[in-house]
Amino acid sequence: MTDTPSPQWPDTPLPQWPPTAPLDPVRRLRVLAAGVSGARVTTREIAVPCAEVEPLLADVDGELALLVPDMRRLRLTRADGDRVEAVARSRFGMHARFHGVRRPGWLWLQSRFVLIGIAATPSAARPGHTLVAFTGGVRVPGRAALVPVGVGRAGRKVLDRLDARLGRPG
Amino acid sequence: MPDDANRDRAIRLVVAAQRGDTLAMHELLDVLTPYAGRICAPIALADGPDAVQETLVAVFRSLHSLKEPAALYGWVRAIACREAVRVARRGSRSVPADLATLPQRGDPELAADIGDVLARLSPEHRAVLVLRDVEGLDERAAAALLGLRVGTVKSRLSRARDSFRKAWTS
Repeated sequence: MTDTPSPQWPDTPLPQWPPTAPLDPVRRLRVLAAGVSGARVTTREIAVPCAEVEPLLADVDGELALLVPDMRRLRLTRADGDRVEAVARSRFGMHARFHGVRRPGWLWLQSRFVLIGIAATPSAARPGHTLVAFTGGVRVPGRAALVPVGVGRAGRKVLDRLDARLGRPG
Repeated sequence: MPDDANRDRAIRLVVAAQRGDTLAMHELLDVLTPYAGRICAPIALADGPDAVQETLVAVFRSLHSLKEPAALYGWVRAIACREAVRVARRGSRSVPADLATLPQRGDPELAADIGDVLARLSPEHRAVLVLRDVEGLDERAAAALLGLRVGTVKSRLSRARDSFRKAWTS
């Protein structure tokens, strides 16, 4: 069972090879959504550069509450590196404390009852366009799961609003 | 393989993710992405990001069923290897060459970089190289993981190394 490598077999690690295979934010969103039962990923290509979309996704205090259905107000209460905390109030008056991660083109927030994930990455097919993706909904406590009702509709609403906000539908 | 601290951290994250904490899933994805990339990229080459995504989708989709969190890395490695070979075979960019047709010593093509030489191996040969020489598995473990006989793995490893060595030492 032994296999003695030839002395010529490289003692040094492979230099600069292979290239790494990082995941862009939209791919990350698909992976995480796969781990959440009932989650659905809604995607859309928007005819604006990613650099114009990213600031909207990062604006937890301002833009995000305008994008997410049923959310009247979202206030950032803490930011430490890429970790963020926020307090939300729904239009039904309920409060929720969110914890999450904010990175360029990426926002992942969870409260006890709600999950929100948004991602944006430059379109591979159309330069100057951006692929955006949304997942989220009402969480099932104690499980990595969403109540599988209206998750697709919620995603379309968020992306509709993002389209409208940017003023240039894809 | 990851060091003990990273392994312990990953195990804790698996347990938390299995209880429904999507932020633990998020952190686990940060931990596993480079590991999956290290296996997938040398096998799937330009299709590496697809292979990593499909690997991690499979991992997160089945994470709830992982009964032994300590077995996480072996489990991910097996999925990564399988998905990378599958994606590489599916991709039009993977047109494996007969090893006998690889450039010989003195051939001007040997000036090409090492990646180009490896790219001309079949996905299965690259998988053997990765498991044996990057992941450090012995032939028996590599054979079990790839669903091959030990003799087949030894043969592929020998031929792949030989071809690689010719380019490397030219």
